[in-house]
Amino acid sequence: MLLQPVPEISLFLAWAAAVVPLAAFGLILVFLRGLPRAAAGTSVAAAAVSLICAVCLLVRHLGMDAPLQSSVTWMASGDFEIAVGVLLDPLSLVMLVIVTCIAFLVQVYSLGYMAGDAGYGRYFGFMSLFAWAMAGLVLAPNILQVFIFWELVGVSSYLLIGFWYEKFSATRAGKKAFIMTRAGDTLFFWGWLILLVWGGTLQIFELNSGAHGLSSAMTTASALLVFGGIIGKSAQFPLMTWLPDAMEGPTPVSALLHSATMVAAGVFLLGRLFPFFSQSDTVMTVCMAVGTVSMLLSATMAMVSRDIKQVWAYSTISQLGFMIMALGAGGYAAGIFHLTTHAGFKALLFLCAGVLIHAHDTNDMFVIGRAGGRRMKTAMVCMTAGALALAGIWPFSGFFSKEAIMGALAAADNPVWLFCGLAGVFLTAYYTFRLIFIILFPRTQAAGANSHGHGSVPASAAMYAVLVILAVITLAAGFFAQGFQDFISIHSPHAKDGHTAFLAHIASPVLAVAGIFAAWMQFGRSASDQVGFAEKIGPVGRLFASRWYLDHVYAWITDRVLDRGIAEGARRTENRVIEGALAMITGWVVICGRMAAGWHRAMIQPKLMVAVAVMFGLTLILLVV
Amino acid sequence: MIVPYTHVMLLGAIVFLMGMICTLTRRNLIMIIVGLEIMLNAAAIVFVGAGLQFQQIEGQVMALFIVAVAAAEVSVGLAMVVCIYRQRHSIDPQCIENSPRVPDPKAASEPLTLNP
Amino acid sequence: MTVYAVFFYIIAALIIASAGLAITRKHMVHAVLYLVVSFIATALLFYLLGAPLVGIFQVILYAGAIMVLFLFIVMMIRMAPGADRPFPAGHFIAAFGVCGVYIAAALVLAFFSGPEAGRPMAAAAASPAAFGFYLFDQHWLAVEMISILLLVALIGALHLGRAGRRKQSGNKEP
Repeated sequence: MLLQPVPEISLFLAWAAAVVPLAAFGLILVFLRGLPRAAAGTSVAAAAVSLICAVCLLVRHLGMDAPLQSSVTWMASGDFEIAVGVLLDPLSLVMLVIVTCIAFLVQVYSLGYMAGDAGYGRYFGFMSLFAWAMAGLVLAPNILQVFIFWELVGVSSYLLIGFWYEKFSATRAGKKAFIMTRAGDTLFFWGWLILLVWGGTLQIFELNSGAHGLSSAMTTASALLVFGGIIGKSAQFPLMTWLPDAMEGPTPVSALLHSATMVAAGVFLLGRLFPFFSQSDTVMTVCMAVGTVSMLLSATMAMVSRDIKQVWAYSTISQLGFMIMALGAGGYAAGIFHLTTHAGFKALLFLCAGVLIHAHDTNDMFVIGRAGGRRMKTAMVCMTAGALALAGIWPFSGFFSKEAIMGALAAADNPVWLFCGLAGVFLTAYYTFRLIFIILFPRTQAAGANSHGHGSVPASAAMYAVLVILAVITLAAGFFAQGFQDFISIHSPHAKDGHTAFLAHIASPVLAVAGIFAAWMQFGRSASDQVGFAEKIGPVGRLFASRWYLDHVYAWITDRVLDRGIAEGARRTENRVIEGALAMITGWVVICGRMAAGWHRAMIQPKLMVAVAVMFGLTLILLVV
Repeated sequence: MIVPYTHVMLLGAIVFLMGMICTLTRRNLIMIIVGLEIMLNAAAIVFVGAGLQFQQIEGQVMALFIVAVAAAEVSVGLAMVVCIYRQRHSIDPQCIENSPRVPDPKAASEPLTLNP
Repeated sequence: MTVYAVFFYIIAALIIASAGLAITRKHMVHAVLYLVVSFIATALLFYLLGAPLVGIFQVILYAGAIMVLFLFIVMMIRMAPGADRPFPAGHFIAAFGVCGVYIAAALVLAFFSGPEAGRPMAAAAASPAAFGFYLFDQHWLAVEMISILLLVALIGALHLGRAGRRKQSGNKEP
């Protein structure tokens, strides 16, 4: 597999796709912060340019027969060069289109959603920063560039999650997201250091084709460390709890974060280094295990949450778990395809939720249902479409990607993975339609149509247009499944896609329908009490609602290990050893100083006496000796 | 032919010793300066005697310089004594040590300046 | 024993006696007056030892100017006689210990001095003209430095006197 240089036009397009949002960001922050409309226009225009470039690139290289790469040296130190460049292969092209597309749609949506916000200009500036960071990450040809933009993605998500910085919870959520992903990034950092020091290269292609000097143990170690970064970024177990808290940001930010950018970056990196990861079976197994655990845990959390955005957040973790499972099982095309479809329908779900929240000023699904959420027809129809896709119902896109994932899981050696995946499908359908039914069939209808009665700005036409576009994408994307998978996997000899497991393909939609039926029994039909089976069993409900006590575990670890263990130890060391030694030294200095001062501090005559005695004593000694 | 050089030296030594005793034991700034003067005087005596012994006029030059330096020293020293007296109404050397402007945490534990 | 030697011993006894009285007087005016006697006797000794010009300076500067300054200051300060508080005994012991060291050093020095130190010195006298010529010929730099020193002392004394007065008035005003 040979690399070819990127043709000049493609190179130009790729750079434009990445750099135009950066220019918009700079322009907005420097000149246009006080001019919200101009800022928004600049940002949306930049996103549009970016999208056009990305689509042109994809069209140009649809039939590419080898990956294209070109890079320039950014800085050099001895033999070590830091290069920045562009790598064009099916994965980066597809991902670039997804990122720019979702970014563009979300920005258009934000035009209406954020109208009247004090930080309108700032918001669009950060959005552009985010788009730039993500585009740079997607196009990166080496791990170092990936890492740089990876961190930029983290920074911009921090800025956006904590966008309403007057709210204490928002700043806290921003910090939490930043610090928890930083924990993973530290591992990633070590991982690529190992790659650089022992492997001697950071080029993604060399790593993927096995042209590195790592032993198999080192490969496993570095891949595991890099996977740590992925866990942090994609909010997998055990670093998953930042994602639900990140709902404190504006809803379009959540949509962007959850569909195409922040969390997708983790899965994207896993896909990017997929051949490298598949050189170690251990790592692949770890991937599957982590994905499975995250998927099931977050699905159970979603079953009991009352907050719309939190349900979608948990489902994001869950779907990312699916993707990582699929990649771990070797289903490269399946995982990436699910990433693509998920980007579409999750953005749709979030933006619909945004419309509802915008109209009702609350996140609580029961309140929204009682307040007449179902009367917002467009939003509800779109949301239902997204929910069907999430649940995996034909003909929505989710169906096809889930089928592909189940096929990949069925090909795995151990049937446990498949059963876990099927259980996940059932749970997904259940919690998704729990939400839909709760909003659609409220138990106690509130009097009066006050859906717009909260003084909030009604949803604008732009927002609805975006919803419809995304719904159409969700509906249509599935039919490109085969072409997509062929395109994406042309250069991936390691992928184990294409297995057909009849049982799995039947079982998955059946279970999805079963999940919807279960939700209907408990939430939809008029005789139901709208209490889920998890909530009926008190301890289980509490366990799910408090996120399996993961935050408590973190608090405990932080408290016991960091505060009382390391910090306390450091404090004691400081007090006893360092300060003690210092006090001893200073004490001795003070004593010596007092002794010396005694010769100087006395009255003038004793001093003189000492001086005279010394003088004559010296004379005496000199004379006698 | 006058006395041996040793006798002149002895005279200087005795006078110097008396000046030293005065300087070291009197609790009075003016008497301390008096003691200094006596010591300088003794040095001048020894210089002149040595000049005679070695037939060098150098010794007398030194004696003259000593007189000049003593004049300078006395004028500045006495001016300082006057200053101190104006500020503290005392010419006890202890009064400088017990200055309120220079806080001294260990003033009481000074072995050589204990006084009832 | 020549008449010079007799004069020497008489003058030496006078110097020692008056200095001893000067350092033991409680009354400062008495002390200063005995000191004047001691200095005049020293001037006589200088004359005897062949240094007439230094002797004259001794009388003019020391016994005259400096001692008058002392008397002025003593009268300005007007300490009550007997205000001298005694030092503790330890201080005296230490002081006499230092004196003992000094005496020991002097004795050792006398013991080690050569045999010619024991012979009587030849009488000689430096004429004021020769002395002055030598001074300004060989030691003109030192003379200039001494003159600058005296100027500095003059200014310093003046400044100290003014500073003390200013401090005093500053203390009184509030």
